[in-house]
Amino acid sequence: MSWLSVPAGLILAAVVIPPLILLYFLKLRRRAQPIACTLLWKRSVEDLRANAPFQRLRPSILLLLQLLALILLALAIMQPQIQAGQRTTGKTVILIDNSASMTASDIEGEGTRLDEAKRRAKDRIETLYDRGLFSSSAGQTMVIAFSDRAEVYCRFTDSKGQLLGAIDRIQPTHGESRITEALTLARAYTTNPDPESDRPVGDPATLELFSDGRIADLDEQVLRGETMLYHPIGSPQADNVAVTVISIERPYDRPTAVEVFASLANFNTKPVTSDVQLSVDGVVRAIEEITIGPAQIDASTAALVAQRRNVVFTPFEQPRGVVIEVASLRDDDLAADNAARLVVPPAKRLTVALVAPKSFLLRTALEGIGSIQRMEVLTAIRYETLAEQGAIDQYDVIVFDDYAPEAGMMPPGRYLTLGSTPPLEGLNEFGRGEGQLILDVTDNHPVFRFVNLEQLYISRFHLLQPADDVQVLAEGSRGPAIVAVSRGQMQAICVTFDPLDSNWPFLRSFVTFIVNAVEYLGHAGEAISATSFAPGEALTTRLPVAAERIDLHLPDGGTQRLDPLDPALFSWGPIRLSGIYALTWSVPGSDQKHSRAFAVNLLSDREGDIRPVERILAKEEDVYVAGAGATQYTPLWPWAIGLCLAVIMLEWWIYHRKAYI
Amino acid sequence: MPEFGVSTEPRPKRVDELIDSELMAKLDQVDVMSRKIFAGKLQGERRSKRRGVSVEFADYRHYVHGDDLRFVDWNVYARLDRLFLKMFLEEEDLSLLIAIDASASMDWGNPNKFVFARRLAMALGYIGLVNHNRVTLYAFSREGVQPLPNLRGRRRTREMGTWLLDLESGDESAFNDAMRHVALSRQGKGVMVILSDFMFKESYEKGLRYLAGGGYDTFCLQILSPEEIDPGKHGLAGDLRLTDIEDEDTAEVTISAALLKRYKENLDAYCGRLRDFCVRRAISHLTIDTATDLTTLLLDYLRKRGLLK
Repeated sequence: MSWLSVPAGLILAAVVIPPLILLYFLKLRRRAQPIACTLLWKRSVEDLRANAPFQRLRPSILLLLQLLALILLALAIMQPQIQAGQRTTGKTVILIDNSASMTASDIEGEGTRLDEAKRRAKDRIETLYDRGLFSSSAGQTMVIAFSDRAEVYCRFTDSKGQLLGAIDRIQPTHGESRITEALTLARAYTTNPDPESDRPVGDPATLELFSDGRIADLDEQVLRGETMLYHPIGSPQADNVAVTVISIERPYDRPTAVEVFASLANFNTKPVTSDVQLSVDGVVRAIEEITIGPAQIDASTAALVAQRRNVVFTPFEQPRGVVIEVASLRDDDLAADNAARLVVPPAKRLTVALVAPKSFLLRTALEGIGSIQRMEVLTAIRYETLAEQGAIDQYDVIVFDDYAPEAGMMPPGRYLTLGSTPPLEGLNEFGRGEGQLILDVTDNHPVFRFVNLEQLYISRFHLLQPADDVQVLAEGSRGPAIVAVSRGQMQAICVTFDPLDSNWPFLRSFVTFIVNAVEYLGHAGEAISATSFAPGEALTTRLPVAAERIDLHLPDGGTQRLDPLDPALFSWGPIRLSGIYALTWSVPGSDQKHSRAFAVNLLSDREGDIRPVERILAKEEDVYVAGAGATQYTPLWPWAIGLCLAVIMLEWWIYHRKAYI
Repeated sequence: MPEFGVSTEPRPKRVDELIDSELMAKLDQVDVMSRKIFAGKLQGERRSKRRGVSVEFADYRHYVHGDDLRFVDWNVYARLDRLFLKMFLEEEDLSLLIAIDASASMDWGNPNKFVFARRLAMALGYIGLVNHNRVTLYAFSREGVQPLPNLRGRRRTREMGTWLLDLESGDESAFNDAMRHVALSRQGKGVMVILSDFMFKESYEKGLRYLAGGGYDTFCLQILSPEEIDPGKHGLAGDLRLTDIEDEDTAEVTISAALLKRYKENLDAYCGRLRDFCVRRAISHLTIDTATDLTTLLLDYLRKRGLLK
C-alpha cells in the first residue's frame, strides 16, 4: 500500500481530533427546562457530579466512534492505494501504437518498442483476468493497433487467449502515429446508441494506451468521459538521426544525368557525426561524412527542434532507370528512417507531333527542347488519318497550333493546344474576346515552373466556360487563359489564345512554358514513380489494360499476387512499411515480365523525434493519466470515506437509541 | 408538540368551567361513602352507629345512673321490674374535608395538576353539598392554610366554586404544617380527601401521621401529570438543566434511555412507598393521571376505591 498525500491527512488529524477530545472534557451546554419537582430527577440523574468546567474523560462508545470516523477521514485524505491489477467495472480498450517510432530499439534487452508494448499489454491482460482481492469481473477487452490507420485486432471479448493472440499478431508499420481513427473505432464498439433517444447508453470504456506518446493528433482529441491510462514505452535517451528529405532531378541541360539532394536531421541534444552513403541499385556510389549540430528545445513550446544538414551529391550520368538510396550509416535506435530511396525513371526522349503549324514560332520552340528526340510536323489531314487509324499513340505529345479537329477525332493521348478550342467535353466556347491580362496563376503547377506571365497581354482570345472538372491554370481578366483537362488517359493543356495574338513570343516565359508543358505531358505517366510514397498512402499507378499475373514484391521479401479489377488504374494499400516495392506483370502473348519499382520513404519529422513523452494531455482536458508501467493502482480512499459515513451513521443511531428508547 | 409541561388548555374562569351541568346531573346520583358510620354534630341523612333519637329501634341496655328517663322502656319494666333503656339508630350528617395542595409544583403539567385538583374538589364538594353533608375545603401552601368551612346544601355550590376559582397556587408547599393545622381544626368525624402530588422534599410522613389519628376516613389522591409519569414519551430530550419551579433548584441531566428508566423506577418506588405508608395507617391512596377523564374518575375509579357510592 502506498499513500499519495500523507501530510494533508496528518494535518487534518492533528487539527480535528484534539478538539473533539476536548469537547468531551467540556461540560455540556444545557437547555433550561422548568419542571414541577426535581426530587425524583436528582435521585435518578447520574451525571450530577462536579461543577468544574471539565469533567473526567469517561469511556464512551460515541467518542470512540467519532474518533474512528475522524481517523478514517484523515486516512482518506492521505489517499491510500494498493497495487491491484483489476478495475472493478467497465470495458477496456487496449490501444497499441505500431507507428514508425515504435520500431525503435531503445529498450533494454532484445526487441523494439512495439515488442515491449506488446509484452506489457499481454501482462496487462494477464493482470486484468487474474482475480485479485479488490477486483471484480474485468469485463470485456478489445485490442486496437494504430499508426496512421487503426485496425481492430480483436473485438470485445473476455477470452484471454483471443486477446493474447491478437496482441501477438500486431505487426510494425512505418506510418505516422495518429489516434483519431483508433478512438473513433473504440467508441463505435463501446457506445450503444439508445434507439429511443439517439443518445449513447452505458459507461464509457477505459482506454489503455501503450505508446511512446509521439502522437500527431493527440492534442485535438477530446475525451468523452473515457478514462485513459497511458503506459509510456521507450527510453528518454533514445538516439536518432533521420534522412528527412530526398530529391533527385535530372539537370535541364543534361537529361541523362541525375543530381541527388538529401537532408538529414539530428534529433539528439548532442552533435553527431555520420557517414551519408549514396547507392545506385545497391552499389555504393559515394560516401560523405557530415556533422550535425545538437537539436534545440524550444523554450516556449518545449518541443524539440531538430538540427538539419543538407547533402548535395555531384551530378552523375545515369540514363537508365535506377533505384537511388541515401542512407545514414550511423547506428541509432530507429533504423526505419536511416535510409530514403527514390526510383528514377530512365531519361526519356520524347516524340512530339506538331499539327498544322501556322508559323515557325512553335516549331522553333519545340526544336530547342533537349528532351525531344523526334518531332514530326503533321498536316490536319494526316493527323485525322492517323487518328482514325488509332496510330496516334506513337507520339508522346501532340501539339495543335491554332487547330481544332472534328469532334471525336481526339483519341486518348496528351495534347497541348494553342488558339482554337479543341472539341473536349467541358470546354464550352461562347465567342471571342479581346484584350486581357493574366490575373491569377496556379503557381505550383509544373507547367509554370520559372514562368512569369505578368507581362503577358492578349489581344484576342476564345471565351471559355469551363466545366467543374476543368482546372483553370491561368485566369485572365476576362476569362480563362490556360486550362488543364484530365480524363483518364486523356490529358490536355489548352491555351485559349494564339500566341501570335499576344506579346507572348517576345517574352522568355513563352519558351519556358512550352518546354514545361511538353515535358509535363510527355512524362506524365512516369512522373509519379519519380516521387516517393509515404507509409499509409495507397500505391497507385497505371498498368496496361491487359496486364495479368501482377505480383507485388514487398520490402520484407514477401510477394503478393494481385488481381485488380482495372489494371489501368492500379491501386494497392495502405502501404505499411518503407522500402522498395516492385510491381511485375506480363501481357498476353508475351513471356516478357514487365517491372516497375516504387519507393516508400518515412520522411517524417514527428516520427523522427522518438523521445518518449512522459505525460500526455488531451485537448482541453487534463484527463490523460500518466501510468507507471503496467501497474494499476486501486485507490482506497472511497472505501475510507464510505466506512467513515457508516461509522457516523452508527454513531448517530447509537446516540438516538440512548436518548429516545 | 407543545412545550414540555405547559398546559395548552385555558384556565377556568367561571364555575361552570369547573363543573358543567352534565357532570352535575350525574353526580346527583352519587354520595360520599364512609366505611364507618360516623357521628355528626347535626342530624343528617345517614345512619350512625351511635344510638340516639330516631324511629328505628336498635337495642336495649341496662339503665345506669344519669340516663335520660325518657328512653326507659316502661313496658319492659312492668314485666321484668328492671329498668331498660330503649336504644334507637340515630341518623347523622357527614363531615367532608377536602384539602387542596396549592403549592407551585401543582401548577404544572398538561393537563394542569392544579386545575385538575380544583375540578376534582369541586365535584367532590358538590356531591357533599347535594347530600347535605358538611363540606369544608382547605387550600394549603407555604403561605399557610386557607379554609372554606362548613358548607351545607346545594345552594352553597356557587360559593364553593367561586372560592375554588379564586384560589392561586403559592410558592413552596408546607405539607406537614398544613396537615397539622387541618387535623387540629377538624372536629368530629368524617371523610377527608387530600388532593396533592405529594412531591414534598421535606417528606410527607409527619403530615399524614397527623391525619391518621381521629375518626376520619382519609383518602390521599396523588395527582400527577402525564409528563411526570412518562417524560420521555412527552418530549423530554437532550441535555437539560431542570429547574424546580418551587425552589429554583436545578438538576443537570442528559436524557437517555437509562436515565428515563431509572426515573420511572424511582417514581414507582416513591408512589409505592406513599401507598404503603397510607395502607399501614388505614388511609386510602390513589394515583391519578391528570389526563384521566373526570367523569370516569368519579363514577368509576372512586366508586371502586370506596370514596363514592
